[in-house]
Amino acid sequence: MTTRSDRGLRRKIFSHSMVVLSGLAIVAVMLPLFWIIYECVVLGGSHLTLNYFTQGTPPPCSPISCEAGGGLTMIQGSFIVVALATLYAVPIGIAAAIFAVEYGGGGALGALSRALSMAADVLSGVPSIVIGVFVYVLILYYDHGIVFSVTSGSLALGAIMLPIVMRTTEEALRTVPHSVREAALALGMTRWKISLRIVLISALPGVLTGILLAIARAVGEAAPLLLLDNTTLPRFLGFNYPAQSLSLGIYLWADSPYKNLQNLAWETALVLLIFVLVLSLTSRLALNRLSRKWKA
Amino acid sequence: MEGLNTMLGESPVKMDVQSLNAFYGESRAIQDINLAIPEKQVTAIIGPSGCGKSTLIRCLNRLHETGFKARVEGSVFLDGEDLYQIDATLVRRRVGMVFQKPNPFATMSIYNNVSAPLRFNGHPSRQECDDAVLRALKQAALWDEVKDRVDDPATSLSGGQQQRLCIARALAANPEVLLMDEPCSALDPIATAKIEELIGQLKQEYTVVIVTHNMQQAARVSDRTAFLYLGKLIEYGPTEDLFERPKEHLTESYITGRFG
Amino acid sequence: MNENPLADTGMPRGYDLLIRHLKDRAIKLGEWALAMMHDGWRAYDVGDLKAAQGVLDRAPQLDRMDEDMEHASIAFLVLRQPTAIDLRTAAALLKITTHLDRIGRLGFDMARITTSGTNGQKELSDLHALLQQMDEVVEAMVRQSLDALGGDHVELARELFHRDDAVDQMHREANRMIVENLGEHPDMAPRLASDLLVARHFERIADNACKVGEKTIYALTGQRRSEYLPRHAYRPYALETAGPPPSKTRK
Repeated sequence: MTTRSDRGLRRKIFSHSMVVLSGLAIVAVMLPLFWIIYECVVLGGSHLTLNYFTQGTPPPCSPISCEAGGGLTMIQGSFIVVALATLYAVPIGIAAAIFAVEYGGGGALGALSRALSMAADVLSGVPSIVIGVFVYVLILYYDHGIVFSVTSGSLALGAIMLPIVMRTTEEALRTVPHSVREAALALGMTRWKISLRIVLISALPGVLTGILLAIARAVGEAAPLLLLDNTTLPRFLGFNYPAQSLSLGIYLWADSPYKNLQNLAWETALVLLIFVLVLSLTSRLALNRLSRKWKA
Repeated sequence: MEGLNTMLGESPVKMDVQSLNAFYGESRAIQDINLAIPEKQVTAIIGPSGCGKSTLIRCLNRLHETGFKARVEGSVFLDGEDLYQIDATLVRRRVGMVFQKPNPFATMSIYNNVSAPLRFNGHPSRQECDDAVLRALKQAALWDEVKDRVDDPATSLSGGQQQRLCIARALAANPEVLLMDEPCSALDPIATAKIEELIGQLKQEYTVVIVTHNMQQAARVSDRTAFLYLGKLIEYGPTEDLFERPKEHLTESYITGRFG
Repeated sequence: MNENPLADTGMPRGYDLLIRHLKDRAIKLGEWALAMMHDGWRAYDVGDLKAAQGVLDRAPQLDRMDEDMEHASIAFLVLRQPTAIDLRTAAALLKITTHLDRIGRLGFDMARITTSGTNGQKELSDLHALLQQMDEVVEAMVRQSLDALGGDHVELARELFHRDDAVDQMHREANRMIVENLGEHPDMAPRLASDLLVARHFERIADNACKVGEKTIYALTGQRRSEYLPRHAYRPYALETAGPPPSKTRK
C-alpha cells in the first residue's frame, strides 16, 4: 500500500523530471538556431566588410585577380523582385481579408468569405516550388519570352506572400472590437468606408506586421526563383529579364569551386539572416508601441 | 389608442412606430409595437432584462438589421416618412445613437472624433469642421474641459468624458433624433449626474429616446415613459402618471420591484 | 400572456412589510386619538374633572406618535424611493396622521372645556340626546376610517361620505337648538356655549375621518376626491331653504 509520503515523493519526482524534459526540449529547439547563427557568423563574418554593400558580384577567381566583391547586385535584384511581389500581394491580401471579415455572416456572401479564408490557408501550405512550377507554366502559355524574369519571379513570390498578408490582416481586423464598427455605422457611414478608414486603420499595426513578415519570407525564398529568376547577369537589365537575388545567390555560390564566391555565399547568408531577424523584431516592437499608444 | 394629440398633449409627433416586429432568426424579440414619440422631449423605455428595449431602440436607427440573421417588419415614421423605405445610411445620419459603453475611435484625437461624421460623410472645409466641433463639444458640455487639448488622443479622457465625447460626435452629425442605449450604465454616479443634466439641456434642440434599466433615472430624466415586457408594449404615458399611478397591473408590479 | 407575476410566492417582499408596519403605526395613532375623543366627550358630558385630566395627560404621547409617524414616512420615502402604490401610501399616510392627530386634539379640547357638574342637562334633554347621538355616529366613523385603512377597504372608505352628510345635518340641528335655547334659558348660556363648541368639534372630527377615508382611497386606487366626488356649492345655512342641507354625495 502506498503511503501518503510515497505518493508525495512520486509527485515530486514526476514534476522535476517534467521540468528537466521541458528544458531539454527548449535546448533541442534553440540549438539548431544558435548553431546556424554561429556558423554564419563564423564563416560569413570573418571577411565581411562594408564593401559588401557597395560592390557587385565578382567574377570567379582567376590566376590574375581574385576580387572579394559584394552583394550589391543581389541586393538590387532581391529588392526589385520582392517589391513587385509586395505590390501584388498587399492590396489583394488586404482586400480579401476585409471581405472575409467585414462581409462574413449570413447567406451567399458569408459562405464565399469563409471559402476565401480556407483558400488562403490552403495556399499557404502549397510548397513554394509547386507555386514556382505553376507560374512557370502560366507565363509560358502567356508569353514564353518572359518565363525567366523578374516579372515571373515576383508573381511566384507574390503568391507566397498573399496568404501571409491576408491571414495576419484578417486576424488584426478581427481584434478590432465590434463597438468601433457600431459607432461608425451609427454615424451613417457607408460599409466600405467603415472597413477602410476606420477598421483597417485601427488594425494597422497588425497589418503592417503581416506585411513585414511576408517580406521577410519572400526575401528568403529560393525555390521559385530557382525556376523563374535564375541568372548570373551582372546587373539589372529590366523587368523582362532575370536578376540575381540574395536567396538564390547563396544556393549558386555556396558550392562554387571559387573561394571568393564561397565567401560571398556565407556573407550573404549572414546578411540575409540578420535582415530577417531585424525585420521580425522591428515589426513586433513597432506593433507593441503603436498598440499601447492607441489603447492608453 | 386614443387620438395622437390627446396622448401627447401639445407636442407634435416626431417618430411614429407602427406595428413594429423585430426578429433574430426565427425568434421574435419585439411584437406589434405602436409608439408615438413626441418632438423635443425625452422618452424613456424601461423594462426588465430581455424585454426588447435595446432591440426596439436599435430599430429606430435601423441598426438592428445589421446583426446576424436579424429582420424587421413594420414601419418607423420620422416626420411622416417611413425610415424603412429609404437608404439605411441616410436614416442613421438623421437618427444618431450613443451606446452603453463609450466607444470613441481610439486611433483619433478628440477633434477628429467629433468631426468624424462630417469628414467621412462629406467634404467639409476646415472652417466648417472647426465650427461644428466647437458647437458639438459645447452642446455636450465638454468644451470647457477639453478646449486646450482637442488634439490629444480620445483615449486620454475619463469614462464620463469619453461618453460625452461620443455624444458630441453624434451631435456633430446634426441628427434630428438622439437615441441613447443605457448611456450611463458604465459610468460612476457623478458622471451619470452630468449626463442626466446634459439630457435635460439637449431636449431643447433634439428629440431624445433613452433606454434605461434604472427606473429612478427614467423618472428623473424623461417626459414620457414606455414600459416593455417580453417584447410587448405594456404601458406608455407621461412619466409622472406612470410612476405615480400606473394603469396596468404589470407596470405597477415592475416599478414597485415586485418582480424582475 | 397568462403569467401573473404577482402570484403569491409565499414570501413577503421587503416593502410589503414596511408598508404594513407604517399602516399599523398609523392605526395605533388613530386608536389613541379615538380614545382621547371618546374619553374627552365622556368627561365633558358628566362633568368629570379627573377624567378630563386623564385625557389632557395623554396629549404629549399623541404629539410623539405624530412626530414618529412623520419621521417614519419620510424615511421610507427617501430610503426606498417608492413608486406607484407604495409612494401613494407613504404620501397618504403623512396626511392621514395629521388628520388623526387633529381628531385627538379635538378630544383634548373637549376635555379642556369640561366643568364640574352637569348643570341643567336634564332640562335640555333633546340637545343632550342629539349630542350623544353625534358622538356615537362620529366615533363609528372614526373607527370605520381606521378599519378601511387597515383592511385596504375602498368601499368602507367611500361610505364615510354618506355618514358625513348625516353629521352635518345633526350639527345644523344642534346649532338651531342652541340658538333657540339661548333665548329661552339665558341662565344656561355658559353650558350652551360650550355645547356649541362640542357640536362643532364633532363635525370637525367627522370631517377629518372623511379625509382619512379620502386619502385611503387615493393610496389604494390613485383617485383623487375630485375624480369621484364633485364639490358641491355651499351656501350659508341662513340662505338655505328649510330641510336637510344638500348632500355631498352623488345620488
